[in-house]
Amino acid sequence: MTQQPHWLDTLSRREVFGRVARATLGVGLVPVISRQLEAAVDGKKPHAKNIIYLMMQGAMSHLDTFDPKPGRDEQGETKTIPTKTPGIVFGQSLEKLAGLSDRLAVVRSLTTETGAHEQGQYLMRTSYPMINSIRHPAFGSWAVHAMGKISKDLPSYVLVGNGNDHPGAGFLDPSLTPVPVADPTKGLENTVRPRYLSEKNFDRRLALADRIDRDFKQRYAGRQLDAYNQLYKDAVRLMGSVDLQAFDIAQEKPEVRDRYGDSKIGLGCLLARRLVESGVRCVEVEFGSWDMHRDVFEEMDEKGPQLDRAMASLLEDLEQRGLLDSTLVVLATEFGRTPRINENAGRDHHPGVFSCVLAGAGVQGGAVYGQSDESGFRPDKDPVSVADFNTTIAAACGLPYEKEFHAPNGRPFKIGGGGKPISAVLA
Amino acid sequence: MTPKSSRKLPAWALLVFVALAALAVGAQPNATGSAKAARAANKMQRRAGQQPIKLPAAVLEEPTGQVMEVAAIDRSRRPQVEEAAKKIDRLLEKRWQEQGVAGSTPLNDAQFVRRIYLELAGRIPTFDETTRFIDSKGATKRTDLIDDLLESPDFVSHTYNFWADILRLTERPQKDVFFEPYLDWVKRSIAANRPYDQWVHEMLTADGKIWENPATGYQLRDKGMPLPYVDNTVRVFLGTQIGCAQCHDHPFDSWTQHQFYELAAFTSGTRMRVGGMPEKKSGLSREEMKQALKESREKNAEAVRQIKEITQQAQKQIRAKKADNGLRLFINANLTSVSSQPGKLLLPHDYQYSDDKPLAAVSPKVLWGDIPADAESLDRRGQFAAWLTSRDNRQFARTIANRIWRKVMGVGLVEPIDDFREDNPASNPELLEHLTDVVLALDFDLREFVRVLVSTSTYQRRAVLHDPTSPSPFHFTGPALKRLTAEQLWDSIVVLIAHNEWAFQRPTSAAFEKAAEIDLTAAGTSYETVEKAYNSFQDAYGIRQYRARLQKQYGFQGQVLVRASELPGPLPLGHFLRQFGQSDRESIEGSRTVATVPQILSMFNGPITHSMLVPGSVIHDEVMSHEPRQAVDVIFLAILSHRPSAEDRAFATQEIQSADTPQAGVGNLIWALLNTREFIFIQ
Repeated sequence: MTQQPHWLDTLSRREVFGRVARATLGVGLVPVISRQLEAAVDGKKPHAKNIIYLMMQGAMSHLDTFDPKPGRDEQGETKTIPTKTPGIVFGQSLEKLAGLSDRLAVVRSLTTETGAHEQGQYLMRTSYPMINSIRHPAFGSWAVHAMGKISKDLPSYVLVGNGNDHPGAGFLDPSLTPVPVADPTKGLENTVRPRYLSEKNFDRRLALADRIDRDFKQRYAGRQLDAYNQLYKDAVRLMGSVDLQAFDIAQEKPEVRDRYGDSKIGLGCLLARRLVESGVRCVEVEFGSWDMHRDVFEEMDEKGPQLDRAMASLLEDLEQRGLLDSTLVVLATEFGRTPRINENAGRDHHPGVFSCVLAGAGVQGGAVYGQSDESGFRPDKDPVSVADFNTTIAAACGLPYEKEFHAPNGRPFKIGGGGKPISAVLA
Repeated sequence: MTPKSSRKLPAWALLVFVALAALAVGAQPNATGSAKAARAANKMQRRAGQQPIKLPAAVLEEPTGQVMEVAAIDRSRRPQVEEAAKKIDRLLEKRWQEQGVAGSTPLNDAQFVRRIYLELAGRIPTFDETTRFIDSKGATKRTDLIDDLLESPDFVSHTYNFWADILRLTERPQKDVFFEPYLDWVKRSIAANRPYDQWVHEMLTADGKIWENPATGYQLRDKGMPLPYVDNTVRVFLGTQIGCAQCHDHPFDSWTQHQFYELAAFTSGTRMRVGGMPEKKSGLSREEMKQALKESREKNAEAVRQIKEITQQAQKQIRAKKADNGLRLFINANLTSVSSQPGKLLLPHDYQYSDDKPLAAVSPKVLWGDIPADAESLDRRGQFAAWLTSRDNRQFARTIANRIWRKVMGVGLVEPIDDFREDNPASNPELLEHLTDVVLALDFDLREFVRVLVSTSTYQRRAVLHDPTSPSPFHFTGPALKRLTAEQLWDSIVVLIAHNEWAFQRPTSAAFEKAAEIDLTAAGTSYETVEKAYNSFQDAYGIRQYRARLQKQYGFQGQVLVRASELPGPLPLGHFLRQFGQSDRESIEGSRTVATVPQILSMFNGPITHSMLVPGSVIHDEVMSHEPRQAVDVIFLAILSHRPSAEDRAFATQEIQSADTPQAGVGNLIWALLNTREFIFIQ
């Protein structure tokens, strides 16, 4: 296509784009990387093979969870409890996690500039700010791209939750898009062929659809249609798989479900554990409604224990099955909440400082990194950017975080966003 | 049809679909309790020799009477519309010439009828509508159809979905904010085709309880969040993002935190509780307002005491588990009333810039331009609304022009449409300014603006691929290729199943008021009256009861078969509409059209696909009412809105003949067409 004069006159970002030749059509990334090469560099504990990413949407208050300020007015009604880690306290609702603090690495000095949910979540998930001209891949898509599939039939990346705002595979191949599971109790729905429909007839229907669709597919061959074409293939393969029972949490004993709790995060964590056991590379569990502008203490009483039960049970189960040595568990949120308690007894958006947690494979349990100032307002020591945090995740997985990957438009990107890994929290 | 195909086909038995349906129904893998019960009932019916299953009676009958009152289109304005459309085409063609590109192929009638129904009615045309259009002659048939559709209830429904995504419309945006009156008001405003500037102005300045004045819903959407409210309002109506400046100076734009607070100072005086509200609600000067407030506070002392007593009693009952928590929410909703009051906005205590001190009071100031002279004596909120919606505030008109352009053409001239910035210029500034002029010349009549856009010859060309990450701009040699929105897909499928997709419409504001209103301040209102009112309210509009009733009357295998615009939101995550990307109504324009595996599984094996094979469904009845040899054509016309090519017809006919049974062959063909990319994209 020809270049527009006025387009070249505009500012830097576009100019860069304009001058970069588009290498190929489709996705011009290097093939899957051999992780062994990277892993050899440090020779420490084994890297994570699976990732479970728990996304607290709406911005989880750091003061009421992992970074309380006992004795300060800002603390409000949230009391604290001691943890297994000397000198470290959590918010009172995180009782079980407090008992597991020797497995956790808590980062208390994350800081960003983005106080809008959508942009904040995008940044957390992709390591890059949301811009107009490109869609970046979520971390899970990067991970699967670099590490490959484990199970042949099951999806390699599953998202438990809504997913509307999820960046998905971004500029990577559409097949790396997470498969959403809306309701963990229902798992993946509609996977069984109607009884009257034989496999032969099903194939026949597909062939018929293909044939009728050929002109349209040809005329509009491109990324939009490719995404659907690819997923039709995935869906067919999935329907025939015996591994599908991984999606069925009804196969768990009632006691187990009780232990995780009958909440979105509880059931989501249980499903995540089953999926990882069956060879799903990466699972993200969304848990919303942390946007506590009103009645933050009342709301925390409800949500805090739900998260506590779910995540603690997940860690215990993984450990018991020997999977915690190969699975990285991340607890993330898009930003923190204001130390000041507003007139509605709530807390507002606060990107200045917030906390996230790592656990499991590749992680130094019991570590607490960074600290916020006395009121929990800004980092006092060792500020951590989102890119640093995500690069740390990449390092825990043994991914080549320093390597440049080129998007179809020619621009270079790094897994984790080109930050510095926090060696103090890495095993 | 060719004689060849008719000769070879065996005659279909009447039981074609009956048999298919029985099979389809027996095959639900994830049966819910109610589906299980239905299956048991079917078994019994089959034994008794009756039809195996039935769609709900409510959606089987053709509608009677008027569905909805919609403002008429002024047909005499057609010549002006044509002229305006030509002007836009000329501007585009000029650009094509400069760039050395050509317009895409003009749409044929079959492609046009599908596109225009999806665009204006939000669904595919029915078999009848398609054949009538394709087979009719006459030079004005396209423009006549456009004008007909613009005054149809379908247009209102589709436009409602469009705004519901932008305005984050849902029944309960917060647990104690009851939105039904506002949702009805939005729908009726669209039906009445109210000028956009007046409509927005009313939302920004409305006072009162939500059922007294449903337009207050806009302000209540962000109840308790005055700063996000300003951010959202500027983003939606002025296409500008100042949200970052809430906490600090904008990193890559010119907005400062001080400017954000100056703007927020206009609306930070908005209160949302009853008590202390002046009788007269608008048009007061600042001084008059203060006086009225004082008087009203004195007058209301007794009422305040009574409210307190009832609230305390309710809390006691809830604690004793004699009442549920919904009672507290019901009381809160009845205490919620929007009003504008004088108030000061202070800078945050951590304000870090040198131009002002932390906690300093901020004087209101608009982002650009001036407050219109005739609004200077109004209260702050009134000034803000007057400025925002003023004709002189060109960005207001420009934003909506770009938004509607994107809806029709698939890509905005500025993208994202809510991020106008100096370094994010329009891909065709001349065209955008012209469209802004058109919106102003039409006095913000948005329906008329849509009428102009769909009347352009550019719009009536084949869709073109658009790559949002491409470094070169889109030249609009045709509209961009789009997938159907979740609502378009749902409504298209519903009209393939239900004879009356309008069997249910959301409640009117008046009906809701009757159930919800209780005057807590009236003499003699006691806790008992409130509790009684709450119980009857719950029966009618408690979300759980409401959903259950819909399911019972209009549900089929867990799906309520009415238009997407009438379904309560947000829908559960696993609902067909959510699978295909309907917004959760929490973020502005949260809907998506990306592909996912569950969508495909749903089209393969889900209850919606199988509803088509049930006796009484539209497509079933359509096929049955034709000669067997016409089945292939009927199915193509009903689903893809065109006749098959000779080759496809022969192939499909062959397919039906060679299937295990002819009925299985027909089922296969319907299923196959629903699972084409052609069905879910707009050519």
